[in-house]
Amino acid sequence: MLRATGLAKSYRAPSGAPIRVLDGVDLAVRAGELAAVTGASGSGKSTLLNLLGLLEDADGGELWFGDERVSALGRAGKSRARGRWVGFVFQAFLLVPSLTALENVLLAARYAGRPAAEARRRALALLEELGVGDRRDHYPAQLSGGEQQRVAWCRAVLNEAPLLLADEPTGNLDDANGAVILDGLRRRAHAGAAVVVVSHHPEVAAGWGAVYRLREGRLEAA
Amino acid sequence: MRAEAVPRVLRILRGYAFTIAGIAIGVGGLVTLGAMSERIVRFIEGGDRFVLGQISVAGRGMGMGAGFTAGGLLPAATVRAIAAVPGVTGVQPQVMLPLNPSTSQFLTLTQELVLGLDLAVLMPNRHYRALPVRAGRFLRAGDRRVAVLGASLAAARGLRAGSRLTLEGASYEVVGVLERMLTAPDRFVFVPIEDAREQWVAKDQLLQTVLASGAAALTAADLNTGAAVGWAEGEDPDAVARRIRERVPGLNVQLPSELSRLLRSSTAFFSALLVGIGALALLIGGLSLANTMAAAVFERIRDFGVKRALGATDLQLAREVLAESLAVTLAGGLGGVALALVLGGAIDGWAARAGQELFDFSPRLLAGALVFSVLLGAAAAGYATRRVVALSPAEAIRRGA
Repeated sequence: MLRATGLAKSYRAPSGAPIRVLDGVDLAVRAGELAAVTGASGSGKSTLLNLLGLLEDADGGELWFGDERVSALGRAGKSRARGRWVGFVFQAFLLVPSLTALENVLLAARYAGRPAAEARRRALALLEELGVGDRRDHYPAQLSGGEQQRVAWCRAVLNEAPLLLADEPTGNLDDANGAVILDGLRRRAHAGAAVVVVSHHPEVAAGWGAVYRLREGRLEAA
Repeated sequence: MRAEAVPRVLRILRGYAFTIAGIAIGVGGLVTLGAMSERIVRFIEGGDRFVLGQISVAGRGMGMGAGFTAGGLLPAATVRAIAAVPGVTGVQPQVMLPLNPSTSQFLTLTQELVLGLDLAVLMPNRHYRALPVRAGRFLRAGDRRVAVLGASLAAARGLRAGSRLTLEGASYEVVGVLERMLTAPDRFVFVPIEDAREQWVAKDQLLQTVLASGAAALTAADLNTGAAVGWAEGEDPDAVARRIRERVPGLNVQLPSELSRLLRSSTAFFSALLVGIGALALLIGGLSLANTMAAAVFERIRDFGVKRALGATDLQLAREVLAESLAVTLAGGLGGVALALVLGGAIDGWAARAGQELFDFSPRLLAGALVFSVLLGAAAAGYATRRVVALSPAEAIRRGA
């Protein structure tokens, strides 16, 4: 489902010197497979996830979603590919503060071009399932951290995207809420999605199908 | 869907409350300064329109020096001679006097004047065949001891139709008040010419002495400070004025175009001032609006990043921002217009006690301010959006964190 070959990324330090964060990363995750990427803080995990989710461009390498070489697409093509292929779970939830919980969930459907009525039905069902149905008209500022992450989770899975990317999904959650999200990730994999999680907590990846460690810009089996 | 749109728009507007307030203040300033500019424009245009609608004549000499007809006496025989000049269609003798010559207002541009009109003759001014009456009626042939007041003068003195006014010891009934014209007649007292002649004699001790001595063969009909002259259809007014000059000696004849030029040169300062005010208003209001709108977009940089992460294309985001910026700038624009109307109305209410009006909130100004604010707001939002979407979604999320 997801195939990355030779992904490279550098940033410029304030002095102007290049800092090579990823140096030829190869990764393949099949449909229904869970992959965890661990590594120390600053090792490039989030950068890798950004590249895998087309949130920024790699300096080199190729990225494939299924049979589509998405790394070769233009800006609009990448936007459409994100809407069609990818669901994101961010550590900081990243809900839009001016929208209600339900509207935040529906954003994913709006940009993927899904029918509004069907998306609304599914969004309401998801919010109920995650125990935040009664919070659907609340704004993010009116929700606890756990509730925000559950809403963000609903948004990530609304379109049943074939690729689910999660960046430290339990980093800001207590154990109970963290367990809800981890369970959800496993269930998405069971449902056929390719799931990639990055976390600097190795225990998050315990019992997962494939666990990788990112070190010195390269990915190695943990 | 449509029913859901209204609360959604209201919520968006609530979310942008500070932005809207900022835009309203900018547009309010723009409209207020613009309304002052409009007021000056109307004043200049009104005066210009008046002098281009008639040929003004006066007897040669110094005379009263009041109004547009500076000069000496204009005797009845001379009035008849003017009427006989080819191309002239009507001559209306007039008496123009300062309402109160003892005050320093006598020397100002906005002095209060008494204008006596010969009501046996139709108003020859092409642009003012009849003056617009707001309350009561205008003067009629045969009237005596009645007055019609300009709007500012009536407001300043708290007079209305039915009030009484004392002029040179005689009591006059106010039979009408004119619409506000934003020009000199706003400060006029219109009376029948016979009454004006009596006031003139009462005001002018030299004239009283001359009449009492019998040294000059003057009748009441000779006591005119000037006359308004009309021209026949198809005639060039300047050519008719020159013809009067050539054929009737002892006259000061003002060519309409020359008078217009003089008026415009005397108001050149105000013209320059209003250009300055307009430019300042556009600059201040425009900068405030554009800055506020752009800042509102930059504040949401993280939201844009998130939306792009969810699959929004540049075009979808641009459409969203444009729709929101239109709603926000329109709301801010309307708020600014309302603010300016309330503020200007309050100031004008205060100024009206002195017979003044500082603002003219013309429809073209209000419509122009709204269009300007919406277009500029959309342009500023478009510029900011372009800057924001140029970032990768990850960078936008990072910067907005």
